[in-house]
Amino acid sequence: MIGGLFIYNHKGEVLISRVYRDDIGRNAVDAFRVNVIHARQQVRSPVTNIARTSFFHVKRSNIWLAAVTKQNVNAAMVFEFLYKMCDVMTAYFGKISEENIKNNFVLIYELLDEILDFGYPQNSETGALKTFITQQGIKSQFQTKEEQSQITSQVTGQIGWRREGIKYRRNELFLDVLESVNLLMSPQGQVLSAHVSGRVVMKSYLSGMPECKFGMNDKIVIEKQGKGTADETGKSELGSGKQSIAIDDCTFHQCVRLSKFDSERSISFIPPDGEFELMRYRTTKDIILPFRVIPLVREVGRTKLEVKVVIKSNFKPSLLAQKIEVRIPTPLNTSGVQVICMKGKAKYKASENAIVWKIKRMAGMKESQISAEIELLPTNDKKKWARPPISMNFEVPFAPSGLKVRYLKVFEPKLNYSDHDVIKWVRYIGRSGIYETRC
Amino acid sequence: MPYLGGEEALRELRRALSNPHVQADRLRYRAAVLRVIRHMAQGADVSGLFPEMVKASAAADVVQKKLVSLYVRAQAPRQPQLALLAVNTLRKDCAHPSPAVRGLALRSMCGLRMPGIQEYLQQPLLSGLRDKASYVRRAAVLGCAKMLQLQGDSEVDGALVNELYSLLRDQDPIVVVNCLRALEEILKKEGGVVINKPIAHHLLNRMADLDQWGQSEVLTFLLRYKPRSEEELFDILNLLDGYLKSSSPSVVMAATKLFLVLAREYPHVQEDVLVRVKGPLLSACTSESRELCFTALCHVRQILGSLPGHFSSHYKKFFCSYSEPHYIKCQKMEVLCELVNDENVQQVLEELKGYCTDVSVELAQGAIFAIGNIARTYTEQCVGILTELLGLQQEHITSAVVQAFRDLVWLCPQCTDAVCRALPSCEDTIQDSEGKQALIWLLGAHGEKVPNAPYVLEDFVENVKSEMFPAVKMELLTALVRLFLSRPAECQDMLGRLLYYCIEEEMDMAVRDRGLFYYRLLQSGVEEVKRVLCSPKSDPSLGLLEDQTERSVNTWASEFNTLAPVYGRERWALVTAHQPAEPSYTCSPCTDSRNRDTESLISEGNKEVLKVHPDTSSLTLIPDVYLTAEQFEKTWLSLEMSCHLSLPWCGTVHPDTIQTALHVVHIHTIAMSKAGVQPWKAYLSAQDDTGCLFLTELLLEAADSEMQVSVKQSEAKPEALQTFVSALRTVMGTVAGLGS
Repeated sequence: MIGGLFIYNHKGEVLISRVYRDDIGRNAVDAFRVNVIHARQQVRSPVTNIARTSFFHVKRSNIWLAAVTKQNVNAAMVFEFLYKMCDVMTAYFGKISEENIKNNFVLIYELLDEILDFGYPQNSETGALKTFITQQGIKSQFQTKEEQSQITSQVTGQIGWRREGIKYRRNELFLDVLESVNLLMSPQGQVLSAHVSGRVVMKSYLSGMPECKFGMNDKIVIEKQGKGTADETGKSELGSGKQSIAIDDCTFHQCVRLSKFDSERSISFIPPDGEFELMRYRTTKDIILPFRVIPLVREVGRTKLEVKVVIKSNFKPSLLAQKIEVRIPTPLNTSGVQVICMKGKAKYKASENAIVWKIKRMAGMKESQISAEIELLPTNDKKKWARPPISMNFEVPFAPSGLKVRYLKVFEPKLNYSDHDVIKWVRYIGRSGIYETRC
Repeated sequence: MPYLGGEEALRELRRALSNPHVQADRLRYRAAVLRVIRHMAQGADVSGLFPEMVKASAAADVVQKKLVSLYVRAQAPRQPQLALLAVNTLRKDCAHPSPAVRGLALRSMCGLRMPGIQEYLQQPLLSGLRDKASYVRRAAVLGCAKMLQLQGDSEVDGALVNELYSLLRDQDPIVVVNCLRALEEILKKEGGVVINKPIAHHLLNRMADLDQWGQSEVLTFLLRYKPRSEEELFDILNLLDGYLKSSSPSVVMAATKLFLVLAREYPHVQEDVLVRVKGPLLSACTSESRELCFTALCHVRQILGSLPGHFSSHYKKFFCSYSEPHYIKCQKMEVLCELVNDENVQQVLEELKGYCTDVSVELAQGAIFAIGNIARTYTEQCVGILTELLGLQQEHITSAVVQAFRDLVWLCPQCTDAVCRALPSCEDTIQDSEGKQALIWLLGAHGEKVPNAPYVLEDFVENVKSEMFPAVKMELLTALVRLFLSRPAECQDMLGRLLYYCIEEEMDMAVRDRGLFYYRLLQSGVEEVKRVLCSPKSDPSLGLLEDQTERSVNTWASEFNTLAPVYGRERWALVTAHQPAEPSYTCSPCTDSRNRDTESLISEGNKEVLKVHPDTSSLTLIPDVYLTAEQFEKTWLSLEMSCHLSLPWCGTVHPDTIQTALHVVHIHTIAMSKAGVQPWKAYLSAQDDTGCLFLTELLLEAADSEMQVSVKQSEAKPEALQTFVSALRTVMGTVAGLGS
């Protein structure tokens, strides 16, 4: 149960304040500002207790969202709610920034009214909310009468996430497999930890109440199916290398029937209208690491440092990686840097204490190198430079976990369109999460 | 845009709102209302526009109604008379054909904070509960809770409660959950909503329809249900199995807690559950949402307290990454400490060593202390690493290492020699008080093994005048006297100088007293000093004990998924201490059992009546017993607290009224503060016919808080105590009623 919700800008000015309970006084707003936003040291914990009141905060760019309560609530739920709140706001007016919040404050108050009542979370699905919210965010148009009358059928329906009577002229669906690959590598090139956390996001524009079935190259399913014709699958697997992947754990949108997943491991559901996250998963085995970073740091005397970094792309030559950025940290007492790189652009950014090397595009199985000479100011500080890791950002058009979508079938028995009439799009994007190599 | 809240702006807004042309045009009317709201948000005083705004809400436009309701809710407390105007329109809206308008009107009405609103609320709420649109029912259900909160302490309407119980069978899942929440608040005094078998089974069947918030909350409510048989218990667990793998971490945690609590008599089931949630918990620990990750880590630590090694094979998941926030790194280090075993100790130590040179001082020291902790089990390796760190000659690192050494030597005496070898040359780099204290302690306690110990201490003695921390001086005194015992020849002279300084020149009283103490002790002879100071220098049993206590799962199962693990046990105890809680009887098992038996609502109600009119036959207070203040104080101090409770209190205290009122029931006043003093206190005494004394303290911290009542009893008689307390409660209740 949440007693109040505040939104602050980076200076600690209150942009939105909504109090649900009488036990949260006016001074709570200031208490958080003084004790957390204006505190000298860095944030100690996302949960702060001030005068027996718990403050849960989340930061988005430079906006602080704080939920306040006096009760012994469960923390995971409050944070999840704050994330949800951010999602909903983003869906209505885009990026969460001070300007957007100020421009949309009436809408935000209205949202806060619908999502929370008396401090208890109510309906928070963006799609379902659309029928209640009258304020237009930047995007939405005027509400029609028809839509208003739908409220009754919407809210009494058994399926909370989809309203009845949706119609599209073109039945389309888009599947995005979005993965973020995380790596921590030792200077010797040994993988300390690596995992992929992925999401399958679906945008559905389908009429009626379609029943969907989703299949992927999950190891357990493939093995199960293979049991009947063990020899064949055994051969094919040998032939084309890795075909199936082991998923460590996966979780689904509320619409997926878990019982069916548990018994047959098939994923079947009636999708919400519009964009939603179908599934979230995590893998740790057999990850394709799209890049390898090989660092070489040599200290030449006390005032000079030589750094050489090689990056190798490790995927099919026909694919292109994009938005590659390598960040090589430099010591605090750097006085000058000379950089030579074969590809892309590299710059020393004194304010960030790093050399930032950007490459627009890079094909698979290529190699590129940067070398830099760093001149240091002599200091009497005996403190050794901590050598922060080299981090990397990139985007690749495949799934580093090896996940493949095998099929997505759509059945709508009541309307006259079949699986073949639905236009389907699948896209794989692998991004870097925390991708670090120690040096 | 005109200036903030100027008269001119207000007048212009009023003109716009009351212009018939504007009113005729929907969009222009709406824009005018929006401008008022903008002014309000910027802090301008727009209360003057109340009548116009209320009129605007009568328009057919839903958007406009919403805007006005925002305004009315903000302004109503300031102008209760005018708010009545709004009530009329809102009541009309409660019968509007559109469910959105009906729901909105109900919510706005319940949100008005003005006296006497309840009588207008009752009717619309009741019809709202029976509305055919679930949107309205949702608002109405929570509205009931809001209304009762506005009413304060008045009687709970039984019909309303029954209506809410029946709504638990509603079609709409959110209505069901809202009913639970509302009942919980309304019946707070009676211990919250009752979950009996039919309700529990009904909720279990509806779980799948609920959204994540609902699931998480229903799982928490189900904690209250106690299955009748083993069979039923396992049926429930089977039914809920899927929620251990839910996509929402909060549902996973709520489900885990329910499993742990329900299976409290089946340790193997509990263990099985913890194995099954390993995956979801680990994925929450590595998720990109930092705050969730933090919460999950806190819970992982809790689990590790009972099942050390539970996450050992996944230790790499807890390696810190450079860009993570400080709080996550600290938690991860704590976790790493706890899951060390023979196989991974090498890698974990390597990793922790890396953090020791971190830029953040706090993190670096945290890592060093973590290694110090691991050293209790893997002494040799850790001492090696720590000694190596001394070579860096960094102020904060050396200080932390020496502190870690001090704690370690106390627990693992076998490493004393290695530590003593590492100590020389540390003294130059240590600057802070904690580090100095640790170093001096080590030199004092194990000085015979450090060749240059007297010379290091001599440096400290020489600079004692410029020493800033009294704690260091005291540590120095103790250490030097100890060292004097083992190496008298080298220490005698400087001990004399130090004692002279401490007694003659030192300004800090604690240091001076300590100096005088040692001086007199030394006068009584060396044998005596040895007897006092030469206690054992280590206590290995302590270290072993700490490692071996694996708390059973049941000790924390009820705290799981609350704020307790997030704040940590000690902080949580601090935060919750002295909170005005429900009355808790420490010595009355009979009341407990009585509470447990009450299942149906009717008997709940009866119990309330019983309390107010205590059965006087069981307790007769003697009219004339007079304790003197001294006797009272002596008895008060010698007795244990029997009962503590807090009574609602508002307004000022009238000591005379209270005294008279208490005298009527033969409770005598021993002492009492004057009226208006804060905190206000009173001490009361009473004696029953068997000679049992009841001593009472009343404490009112500040005006308008709750009155804290502590009762002590000379003989343990639970029934008598309970009657006494309820008599006291009745009297105080009456007095409080008179005051307001």
